[in-house]
Amino acid sequence: MTDDDRVFKALADPTRRFLLDRLFQRDGRTLTELESELAMTRFGVMKHLRVLEDAGLVVTRREGREKHHFLNPVPIRLIHDRWIDKYTEPRVSALAELKTTLEEESA
Amino acid sequence: MTTITAQTTQVYQVFIKATPEAVWDAITKPEFTERYFFGARIENTPERHRAVGPDGSVWGDEPVYEFDPPRRLVQGWRSLYDPELAQEDESRVTWEIASQEGGYCLLTVIHDRLEGAPKTAENVSGTGWMMVLSGLKTLLETGRPLAD
Repeated sequence: MTDDDRVFKALADPTRRFLLDRLFQRDGRTLTELESELAMTRFGVMKHLRVLEDAGLVVTRREGREKHHFLNPVPIRLIHDRWIDKYTEPRVSALAELKTTLEEESA
Repeated sequence: MTTITAQTTQVYQVFIKATPEAVWDAITKPEFTERYFFGARIENTPERHRAVGPDGSVWGDEPVYEFDPPRRLVQGWRSLYDPELAQEDESRVTWEIASQEGGYCLLTVIHDRLEGAPKTAENVSGTGWMMVLSGLKTLLETGRPLAD
Protein backbone atom coordinates (compact mmCIF):
# COMPACT_ATOMS: atom_id res chain seq x y z
CA MET A 1 0.00 0.00 0.00
CA THR A 2 1.36 3.42 -0.88
CA ASP A 3 1.29 6.43 1.46
CA ASP A 4 -1.65 7.89 -0.48
CA ASP A 5 -3.59 4.63 -0.12
CA ARG A 6 -3.13 4.71 3.65
CA VAL A 7 -4.37 8.30 3.88
CA PHE A 8 -7.42 7.66 1.69
CA LYS A 9 -8.21 4.47 3.62
CA ALA A 10 -7.85 6.28 6.94
CA LEU A 11 -10.15 9.09 5.79
CA ALA A 12 -12.74 6.67 4.41
CA ASP A 13 -14.24 6.00 7.85
CA PRO A 14 -16.61 8.35 9.72
CA THR A 15 -15.25 7.47 13.17
CA ARG A 16 -11.72 8.29 12.08
CA ARG A 17 -12.84 11.56 10.52
CA PHE A 18 -14.62 12.34 13.80
CA LEU A 19 -11.40 11.69 15.72
CA LEU A 20 -9.48 14.02 13.38
CA ASP A 21 -12.12 16.72 13.85
CA ARG A 22 -11.84 16.37 17.64
CA LEU A 23 -8.06 16.79 17.43
CA PHE A 24 -8.48 19.72 15.06
CA GLN A 25 -10.59 21.43 17.74
CA ARG A 26 -8.13 20.65 20.48
CA ASP A 27 -4.85 18.90 19.89
CA GLY A 28 -2.85 16.70 22.23
CA ARG A 29 -5.71 14.62 23.66
CA THR A 30 -5.18 11.35 25.48
CA LEU A 31 -6.89 8.09 24.56
CA THR A 32 -9.14 8.43 27.61
CA GLU A 33 -10.33 11.87 26.47
CA LEU A 34 -10.97 10.71 22.90
CA GLU A 35 -12.71 7.56 24.09
CA SER A 36 -15.12 9.53 26.28
CA GLU A 37 -16.68 11.15 23.20
CA LEU A 38 -17.36 7.95 21.33
CA ALA A 39 -19.84 5.16 21.98
CA MET A 40 -17.13 2.61 21.39
CA THR A 41 -14.83 0.37 23.41
CA ARG A 42 -11.32 1.56 24.30
CA PHE A 43 -9.99 -1.18 22.07
CA GLY A 44 -12.10 0.03 19.14
CA VAL A 45 -10.85 3.61 19.50
CA MET A 46 -7.26 2.33 19.76
CA LYS A 47 -7.70 0.43 16.51
CA HIS A 48 -8.93 3.53 14.70
CA LEU A 49 -6.10 5.65 16.14
CA ARG A 50 -3.65 3.00 14.97
CA VAL A 51 -4.91 3.34 11.36
CA LEU A 52 -4.63 7.13 11.61
CA GLU A 53 -1.09 6.79 12.97
CA ASP A 54 -0.08 4.39 10.19
CA ALA A 55 -1.32 6.96 7.68
CA GLY A 56 0.71 9.66 9.43
CA LEU A 57 -2.43 11.67 10.21
CA VAL A 58 -1.97 11.31 13.94
CA VAL A 59 1.36 11.60 15.74
CA THR A 60 1.72 10.55 19.37
CA ARG A 61 4.10 12.04 21.92
CA ARG A 62 4.71 10.74 25.41
CA GLU A 63 4.80 13.14 28.30
CA GLY A 64 5.52 11.31 31.52
CA ARG A 65 2.96 8.53 31.79
CA GLU A 66 0.56 10.09 29.32
CA LYS A 67 0.40 9.61 25.59
CA HIS A 68 -0.91 12.61 23.68
CA HIS A 69 -2.36 12.51 20.18
CA PHE A 70 -1.67 15.27 17.70
CA LEU A 71 -3.28 15.90 14.34
CA ASN A 72 -0.63 15.95 11.61
CA PRO A 73 -2.15 17.76 8.62
CA VAL A 74 0.88 17.32 6.32
CA PRO A 75 -0.33 14.11 4.54
CA ILE A 76 -3.60 15.88 3.67
CA ARG A 77 -1.60 18.78 2.24
CA LEU A 78 0.42 16.31 0.14
CA ILE A 79 -2.79 14.71 -1.16
CA HIS A 80 -4.03 18.20 -1.96
CA ASP A 81 -0.81 19.05 -3.84
CA ARG A 82 -0.87 15.75 -5.70
CA TRP A 83 -4.58 15.43 -6.55
CA ILE A 84 -6.57 18.60 -6.04
CA ASP A 85 -4.17 21.10 -7.62
CA LYS A 86 -3.74 18.88 -10.65
CA TYR A 87 -7.44 18.77 -11.49
CA THR A 88 -8.56 22.22 -10.39
CA GLU A 89 -5.79 24.38 -11.84
CA PRO A 90 -6.43 23.85 -15.59
CA ARG A 91 -10.12 24.66 -15.05
CA VAL A 92 -9.41 27.73 -13.00
CA SER A 93 -6.96 29.00 -15.61
CA ALA A 94 -9.44 28.16 -18.42
CA LEU A 95 -12.04 30.29 -16.64
CA ALA A 96 -9.54 33.08 -16.12
CA GLU A 97 -8.73 32.98 -19.83
CA LEU A 98 -12.42 33.05 -20.75
CA LYS A 99 -12.91 36.08 -18.53
CA THR A 100 -10.00 37.87 -20.22
CA THR A 101 -11.30 37.01 -23.69
CA LEU A 102 -14.84 38.16 -22.91
CA GLU A 103 -13.66 41.36 -21.30
CA GLU A 104 -11.43 42.13 -24.27
CA GLU A 105 -14.33 41.57 -26.65
CA SER A 106 -16.64 43.87 -24.74
CA ALA A 107 -13.96 46.57 -24.51
CA MET B 1 1.76 17.67 35.70
CA THR B 2 2.04 19.09 32.24
CA THR B 3 -1.22 19.85 30.53
CA ILE B 4 -1.40 20.47 26.83
CA THR B 5 -4.19 22.74 25.71
CA ALA B 6 -5.31 24.16 22.39
CA GLN B 7 -2.51 24.81 19.98
CA THR B 8 0.19 25.50 22.56
CA THR B 9 1.92 22.41 21.21
CA GLN B 10 1.80 21.67 17.50
CA VAL B 11 3.30 18.57 15.92
CA TYR B 12 3.99 18.08 12.23
CA GLN B 13 5.55 15.07 10.58
CA VAL B 14 6.59 14.10 7.08
CA PHE B 15 8.52 11.29 5.41
CA ILE B 16 11.18 12.55 3.02
CA LYS B 17 13.20 10.42 0.63
CA ALA B 18 16.60 11.90 1.45
CA THR B 19 19.55 11.32 3.77
CA PRO B 20 19.52 12.85 7.27
CA GLU B 21 22.47 15.01 6.19
CA ALA B 22 20.51 16.42 3.24
CA VAL B 23 17.54 17.23 5.49
CA TRP B 24 19.88 18.83 8.02
CA ASP B 25 21.45 21.05 5.36
CA ALA B 26 18.00 21.99 4.08
CA ILE B 27 16.91 23.28 7.50
CA THR B 28 20.13 25.02 8.51
CA LYS B 29 21.40 26.70 5.34
CA PRO B 30 19.89 29.84 3.78
CA GLU B 31 20.43 28.76 0.16
CA PHE B 32 17.98 25.90 0.82
CA THR B 33 15.47 27.61 3.09
CA GLU B 34 14.83 30.47 0.67
CA ARG B 35 13.39 27.91 -1.75
CA TYR B 36 10.69 26.55 0.55
CA PHE B 37 10.35 28.78 3.67
CA PHE B 38 8.26 31.64 2.24
CA GLY B 39 11.42 32.93 0.60
CA ALA B 40 13.24 33.46 3.92
CA ARG B 41 16.99 32.97 4.17
CA ILE B 42 17.44 31.09 7.44
CA GLU B 43 20.74 30.23 9.03
CA ASN B 44 20.95 27.99 12.08
CA THR B 45 24.31 27.77 13.83
CA PRO B 46 25.15 26.23 17.24
CA GLU B 47 24.58 29.70 18.73
CA ARG B 48 21.88 31.45 16.78
CA HIS B 49 18.82 31.15 14.57
CA ARG B 50 18.64 34.01 12.07
CA ALA B 51 15.97 34.49 9.42
CA VAL B 52 15.84 37.23 6.81
CA GLY B 53 12.75 37.71 4.67
CA PRO B 54 12.82 38.14 0.88
CA ASP B 55 12.57 41.93 1.36
CA GLY B 56 15.68 41.93 3.57
CA SER B 57 13.84 42.50 6.87
CA VAL B 58 14.63 40.40 9.95
CA TRP B 59 12.04 37.62 10.40
CA GLY B 60 13.73 35.82 13.28
CA ASP B 61 16.74 36.23 15.56
CA GLU B 62 16.65 33.80 18.45
CA PRO B 63 18.95 31.47 20.40
CA VAL B 64 19.66 27.92 19.29
CA TYR B 65 19.37 25.63 22.31
CA GLU B 66 20.42 22.30 20.81
CA PHE B 67 22.46 21.72 17.69
CA ASP B 68 23.12 18.04 17.04
CA PRO B 69 23.67 17.39 13.30
CA PRO B 70 22.07 15.59 11.56
CA ARG B 71 19.53 14.65 14.20
CA ARG B 72 18.17 17.43 16.37
CA LEU B 73 17.83 21.19 16.34
CA VAL B 74 16.07 23.22 19.02
CA GLN B 75 15.58 26.93 18.42
CA GLY B 76 13.68 29.84 19.87
CA TRP B 77 10.90 31.36 17.76
CA ARG B 78 9.50 34.85 17.65
CA SER B 79 7.50 36.04 14.65
CA LEU B 80 9.43 39.23 13.89
CA TYR B 81 7.86 39.33 10.38
CA ASP B 82 4.72 40.82 11.93
CA PRO B 83 4.90 43.75 14.40
CA GLU B 84 1.92 42.48 16.40
CA LEU B 85 3.18 38.91 16.67
CA ALA B 86 6.71 40.14 17.46
CA GLN B 87 5.41 41.49 20.80
CA GLU B 88 4.54 37.99 22.01
CA ASP B 89 6.72 35.72 24.17
CA GLU B 90 9.34 33.49 22.63
CA SER B 91 8.18 29.98 21.78
CA ARG B 92 10.23 26.92 20.82
CA VAL B 93 10.70 24.88 17.64
CA THR B 94 12.26 21.41 17.73
CA TRP B 95 13.34 19.63 14.54
CA GLU B 96 13.91 15.87 14.80
CA ILE B 97 15.34 13.85 11.93
CA ALA B 98 15.05 10.05 12.20
CA SER B 99 16.58 7.79 9.57
CA GLN B 100 14.15 5.16 8.22
CA GLU B 101 14.45 2.09 6.01
CA GLY B 102 14.59 2.51 2.26
CA GLY B 103 16.49 5.80 2.18
CA TYR B 104 13.75 7.75 3.96
CA CYS B 105 13.86 10.19 6.84
CA LEU B 106 11.04 10.97 9.20
CA LEU B 107 11.11 14.68 9.96
CA THR B 108 9.15 15.84 12.99
CA VAL B 109 8.63 19.50 13.81
CA ILE B 110 7.29 20.38 17.24
CA HIS B 111 6.33 23.98 17.85
CA ASP B 112 5.58 24.34 21.56
CA ARG B 113 5.76 26.68 24.56
CA LEU B 114 3.21 28.79 22.72
CA GLU B 115 1.31 29.69 25.92
CA GLY B 116 2.54 33.29 25.76
CA ALA B 117 2.13 33.59 21.99
CA PRO B 118 -1.49 32.81 21.06
CA LYS B 119 -1.46 34.88 17.87
CA THR B 120 1.75 33.25 16.72
CA ALA B 121 0.18 29.85 17.47
CA GLU B 122 -2.74 30.78 15.25
CA ASN B 123 -0.50 32.20 12.54
CA VAL B 124 1.81 29.18 12.17
CA SER B 125 -0.82 26.47 12.55
CA GLY B 126 -2.47 24.77 9.64
CA THR B 127 -1.09 26.01 6.33
CA GLY B 128 1.96 27.74 7.86
CA TRP B 129 4.06 24.75 8.88
CA MET B 130 2.25 22.53 6.39
CA MET B 131 3.42 24.64 3.43
CA VAL B 132 6.97 24.65 4.80
CA LEU B 133 7.09 20.88 5.23
CA SER B 134 5.44 19.96 1.94
CA GLY B 135 7.72 22.46 0.19
CA LEU B 136 10.78 21.01 1.91
CA LYS B 137 9.76 17.48 0.89
CA THR B 138 9.22 18.53 -2.73
CA LEU B 139 12.53 20.39 -2.87
CA LEU B 140 14.54 17.47 -1.47
CA GLU B 141 12.81 14.83 -3.58
CA THR B 142 12.61 16.67 -6.89
CA GLY B 143 15.24 19.40 -6.57
CA ARG B 144 12.57 21.95 -7.36
CA PRO B 145 10.50 24.27 -5.13
CA LEU B 146 6.77 23.58 -4.72
CA ALA B 147 5.71 26.83 -6.36
CA ASP B 148 7.67 29.37 -8.33
